Amino acid sequence: MRKTAAAGLAVGIIAALGFAMPATADTNGSAQLSVLHGIPDTPVDVYVNGELTLDDFQPGDLAGPLELPAGDYEVALTATDAADASSPVLGPATLTLAAGSNYTAVAHLTEAGEPGLNLFTNDTATTAAGEGRLTVRHVAAAPAVDVLAGGSPVVEGLTNPNEATLNLPAGTVSAAVALAGTTEPVLGPTDVQIQDGVLTIVYAWGSAEDGNLAIAAQTVTGLHSSPDGVPSGSAGYLAQRDASTAFLMIAGAGVLAIAVAAGAVTVVRARQGASR
Amino acid sequence: MVCALAGTVLAACLVACTPVGAGDATPTPRRIATASPSAPTPPPALPTPTIDVPVQSGALSAPAAAVPPVRLRIDALGVDMPVTDVGIEPSGQMELPVDPAVAGWYRYGPDALSEAGNVMLAAHVDAPDYPIGPLARLRELGPGATLSIDAADGSSRGYVVESLTFYDKTALPTAELFAREGAPALVIITCGGPFDPTTGRYRDNVVAIARQQ
Repeated sequence: MRKTAAAGLAVGIIAALGFAMPATADTNGSAQLSVLHGIPDTPVDVYVNGELTLDDFQPGDLAGPLELPAGDYEVALTATDAADASSPVLGPATLTLAAGSNYTAVAHLTEAGEPGLNLFTNDTATTAAGEGRLTVRHVAAAPAVDVLAGGSPVVEGLTNPNEATLNLPAGTVSAAVALAGTTEPVLGPTDVQIQDGVLTIVYAWGSAEDGNLAIAAQTVTGLHSSPDGVPSGSAGYLAQRDASTAFLMIAGAGVLAIAVAAGAVTVVRARQGASR
Repeated sequence: MVCALAGTVLAACLVACTPVGAGDATPTPRRIATASPSAPTPPPALPTPTIDVPVQSGALSAPAAAVPPVRLRIDALGVDMPVTDVGIEPSGQMELPVDPAVAGWYRYGPDALSEAGNVMLAAHVDAPDYPIGPLARLRELGPGATLSIDAADGSSRGYVVESLTFYDKTALPTAELFAREGAPALVIITCGGPFDPTTGRYRDNVVAIARQQ
């Protein structure tokens, strides 16, 4: 009986989900959901609305994106040998997904080191031409941090479970994470590519106390805009040359016309001469 | 291990539940239920996911490097010019190499090996203190002409011109021309039309679109 009910629900979920789409900005009224496993040393199974959705999900891995109809979803994490979601290690938690939005649910340690689940909304607004977007999320069991770019703080006092977002020119940023007010990296420095039209999300996860702080990353593409135009000519030389050429052609035609007229006059005079 | 335990429990329950025929006058042979072969369904195996969700490592990785075009050749026009990568000007327009003899490739768009979208090249038709550029002849290009680009990895790609269009610069369909999806094409842009000496600009963009062969 449970099998039949499960099959029916599975059909419903499959019908709603369609096929997995690439990680681009959502445009069609569904929501996009990715899931990051940021709890060290704890592989889990992930249940969504009572259905097993991720089997043996490993710490540091990123699942999705799933395209889902807008609505509430109950998410639970269980041990990997659980038969169902009745005894979760984390959750159940209700995630509310709005149409047109792009989310990442993160299972991670709180600052105090307890497992928790947080739903982040990803900023998929269009980027300016030549720019990308960087979001940094603090989901580690660690105190407040500063985010350094090229050695200087660009985000200060970021705490768990918060985030900061910067729009940056496309290029390479040497990024590091240091305890707030310090510049000695606890993570990095590591090169992060800021790409035109791409949201790059960098997560600091793990536990400072256990010495397993790490960086995870996720990208969302398709946010780019086009240049405003192509300004390809500024001296007017071609226009001048065209004008001169045209003048010569007209002048040439004029000379020809005069020559023809002169020739005609000569002929007429010759005739007149001849007829005398 | 779990299965065996459940099976034993189930069998024990059935044996215990089989009524011993109190009230039966005639003792009849009794079929006693056993745990096999007509045993009840074995306990459920571990569940498997109902859908296939892509899972990848969350490790930070660098994106694959683009392979830029480095040379543009248009035999019909006698064009054989170098290409360099360019980005965006502070004004928000596409950057162009100062020298009209060098074409710019929009580095944020498709590269020379892309299987989709428009490789975007542009050059000045002219610029102060430089000779008039090779793309001054772009306006002579007709559909069916062939052209090619050389890529930084040594490969080459051929294209066939599909269209040549003059657009008023203010009406340039940039989203369409800078598309990153769709059939792979090469777009070459320069300036043309009347020149306004008060603004120092040509009115039009001359746009050639060529489909990958």
